[in-house]
Amino acid sequence: MATSRRARRLRRILLIAAIIAIVADGLFILYLDRIVTPQFEGRRWTLPAQVFAQPLELYAGLPMPADALEQELVRLHYTPVDNLARPGTYHRRGSRIDIATRRVQFAEEVREAGTVSVLTGGGSIQRLLDSGGADVPLFRLDPLLIGSIFPIHGEDRIVVSPAEVPSLLPAALKVVEDRKFDRHHGVDPEAIARAAWVNLRSGSIEQGGSTLTQQLVRSYFLDDRQTLWRKIKEALMAIILEARFDKADLMNAYINEIYLGQDGERAIHGFGLASRFYFGKPLDELDLHEIALLVAVVRGPSYYDPRLHADRARARRDLVLRQLAHFEAITEQQAQDAVALPLGVTTRVTSGYYPAYLDFVRRTLRRDYHEEDLTEAGLKVYTSLDPRVQATGEQALNDELTRLDRLRKTKDGVQLEGAIVVTAPQSGDVIAVIGGRQVGFDGFNRALDARRSIGSLAKPMVYLAALETGRYNAATIVLDEPIEVKLARGKVWKPENFTQETYGPVPLTHALADSLNLATVHVGLDVGVKNIADTFVRLGLEQRPDPNPALILGSLDLAPLEVAQIFNSLANGGFRTPLRAVRIVIGADGTALKAFPLQITPVADSATVYQLNRMLTKVTQRGTGRAVYSRLSPDIVVAGKTGTSSEFRDSWFAGFTGSHLAVVWVGYDDNRPTGLTGAAGALSIWSNLMRRLPITSWDAPLPESLRETWIEYDTGLETRPTCSEDVVSIAVPSETVLPAKPGCIEGAFSDFATRAKQWLKGIIH
Amino acid sequence: MRALPPLILAIILSACRLPNPYSAPSKPQPAPPGGGAPTLPAPPPEQLPPPVERQPEPEAVPSPQPPRSYELGAAARSLVDQAHAQSAAGNFPVAAGSIERALRIEPNNPLLWIELGQVRLAESNYEQGENLGRKALSLATGDPKTQSSAWRLIAYALQGRGRGPEAREAQARADELATH
Repeated sequence: MATSRRARRLRRILLIAAIIAIVADGLFILYLDRIVTPQFEGRRWTLPAQVFAQPLELYAGLPMPADALEQELVRLHYTPVDNLARPGTYHRRGSRIDIATRRVQFAEEVREAGTVSVLTGGGSIQRLLDSGGADVPLFRLDPLLIGSIFPIHGEDRIVVSPAEVPSLLPAALKVVEDRKFDRHHGVDPEAIARAAWVNLRSGSIEQGGSTLTQQLVRSYFLDDRQTLWRKIKEALMAIILEARFDKADLMNAYINEIYLGQDGERAIHGFGLASRFYFGKPLDELDLHEIALLVAVVRGPSYYDPRLHADRARARRDLVLRQLAHFEAITEQQAQDAVALPLGVTTRVTSGYYPAYLDFVRRTLRRDYHEEDLTEAGLKVYTSLDPRVQATGEQALNDELTRLDRLRKTKDGVQLEGAIVVTAPQSGDVIAVIGGRQVGFDGFNRALDARRSIGSLAKPMVYLAALETGRYNAATIVLDEPIEVKLARGKVWKPENFTQETYGPVPLTHALADSLNLATVHVGLDVGVKNIADTFVRLGLEQRPDPNPALILGSLDLAPLEVAQIFNSLANGGFRTPLRAVRIVIGADGTALKAFPLQITPVADSATVYQLNRMLTKVTQRGTGRAVYSRLSPDIVVAGKTGTSSEFRDSWFAGFTGSHLAVVWVGYDDNRPTGLTGAAGALSIWSNLMRRLPITSWDAPLPESLRETWIEYDTGLETRPTCSEDVVSIAVPSETVLPAKPGCIEGAFSDFATRAKQWLKGIIH
Repeated sequence: MRALPPLILAIILSACRLPNPYSAPSKPQPAPPGGGAPTLPAPPPEQLPPPVERQPEPEAVPSPQPPRSYELGAAARSLVDQAHAQSAAGNFPVAAGSIERALRIEPNNPLLWIELGQVRLAESNYEQGENLGRKALSLATGDPKTQSSAWRLIAYALQGRGRGPEAREAQARADELATH
């Protein structure tokens, strides 16, 4: 009796326990469902802001030979074909290029895919024709995607819709990862058992038994810990998802979610971004062998990294291709053809990732956006970056620094560093930012953060302030003589010339061209250091420099970007325009959220700035910047200024043509002397860069209030080229009477007067 | 008497030259043009011929910058047309974006700076309207018609900023230049 009672009690306990377990289990599933379903239903992947370069505008007359245009298309990963087929391809016949363009989202409009034909000749674009053969006035190429602003945890992705997914991709995923995907309910016990058996026999994990749904769950909801409890949770969640959502939905989620590679801190998620990351093309343009490679990479993005472990990746890609043929997703012939092809991944350089420029973009946007908006809200950011200029600048910096390093080896092997900022002066567009030699390295951005002594780059501000007083012009004689300046606390400042010589009386334009320190200090003290400090601020420096006498010779630490802002106001004829990297930000729905329109403010009389700029052209023609013409054609007019800080710690050149302004800095990160003048270091990079860009001369029109004339370079006397040996041209206010070289101006002038008199007589008589 | 010489010179200049249809912007050369007639200093009054109908010999009169008229290239023209349509639809930011695109193609063309200024006026951004007018003016050397348009833009902008007397002055300059 007692036994049966005990047994009954035990049965009852077991029953209750079972009920509790079932209820608990049910509750747990309900709980999981409450978590999984809404989260997945309202799923929005965090979409890092995508950042685009300035699209290239094609129009008749643009200097661009067919080869250069083809290079641009290759940069945008257009594929050459014999017959134009799908978007993203082009066909070249000699000087004519037919392009099948992609659907493009521009800042203000979406342009559907189409075709355009470009006819080139004589180094320029001659005509643009649409598909009907009608002339088109201009045509924009796709804006190059240059990167994205991803969150701290580093997840970057481009989400694709099912329409953008080539049908082969889901088919291949099923064959390779989950053959029963279309039939199972989230888990595949048979696959698990098989995988367990294989792994047990080999003693290592060779085969995963997870369905695509389980992989999705793992990536989307769970962390990477390999515990039994996590496995159970994963299986339950997969079953819930399968019950709630259809297969197509789950497949699309998988394609957008899964991890496919690593780029430094940046985790590459989803096939949309992986396609860009490995091939530089949108997913719907991939060929069979490329799709097979991405599918191969799923199993182990670092183990099968096609850039680091090409052989492994290739072996697995070919395995994928053979499996696809075996399961009849493709034909045997297709597989054989694809196996014969190389991997086709881009090198890192052409994949177009510009950390220094992106850094500038990010800082601009942080003023207006929360970090989460940038890293999650799917914004599209359109910038002023010109990828050609950026790439050329990176090349020029590296070439020249490598050359200079060879010339002056340091004992401890420390290398020179440098930075470049390039702008389009009239619009203030920042078209390139190079933050150091290691362009792919997301580190110290010298273009923005290296505040270094500007040395003689300060002189144009001194001379502008002088011209503005009305007491100076380009021909005014200034004294290059020793000077002692009494400073606060009884200190005395005794500046010296670079050559440690003195040059006596010289015309202002000569003093600037040869960067004479003593003459400049005389001028600066006469003009007033406070005026000079104000000039810096007017031209665009945010913080007013300390108005001490040493400012005249550039004892001021500025970053290349700040220098670019100041010189841009000169290049822009006395108009300040805030330098901008970002033009417009577009929301995920395509609406414009924030624009950075072109804004200009007159900050100096344009005729006065013209006089200064004419003097700055003498720096390159006659003065410390002469070396520019060892690389540039003498027909190109360049205005600029060299800068060398004390003990050669910093080498600068800031200069502009009609089309481009560039500021270059060279130095060591630890601020040790370089032994380089501005001309020997920065200027060589500047001219190396400009030589390879389609630049135009500085050719601002002569203001009507000025006249052009000649002076003797050493005496400043007005003269004519036929009358003196060493002359330079200058611009002075029309009413200015200059001391003339005897027998030169009078000659020309009296000739005119005599004729006028004769002519008068003729009328009167 | 002080103001006379430039005035006389201006009259002679306007009398002796027919407006050139277009001449390329004069490039400042490394050295000023050796062969061409250079700018001569303003001569003292007593040496100047009086304003009369007859012309002196062309080479005797310094004329470094003959009148010219700015025009838009086809690409910039199409963007300006686009901008006009966008402005007409009240979409000023997009219209300004189109003009900025044109400015990237022809940054030194004062007509485009005037166009951008007009979009800013339409947005009641009078300060930028005025500044853009002044930018256009600094580029429009030698083209009285474009200078006149720039002054007109400045006049409207000043009016919008409530600076009536300056606006009237600017308008007067616009009118005077229009008669050239």
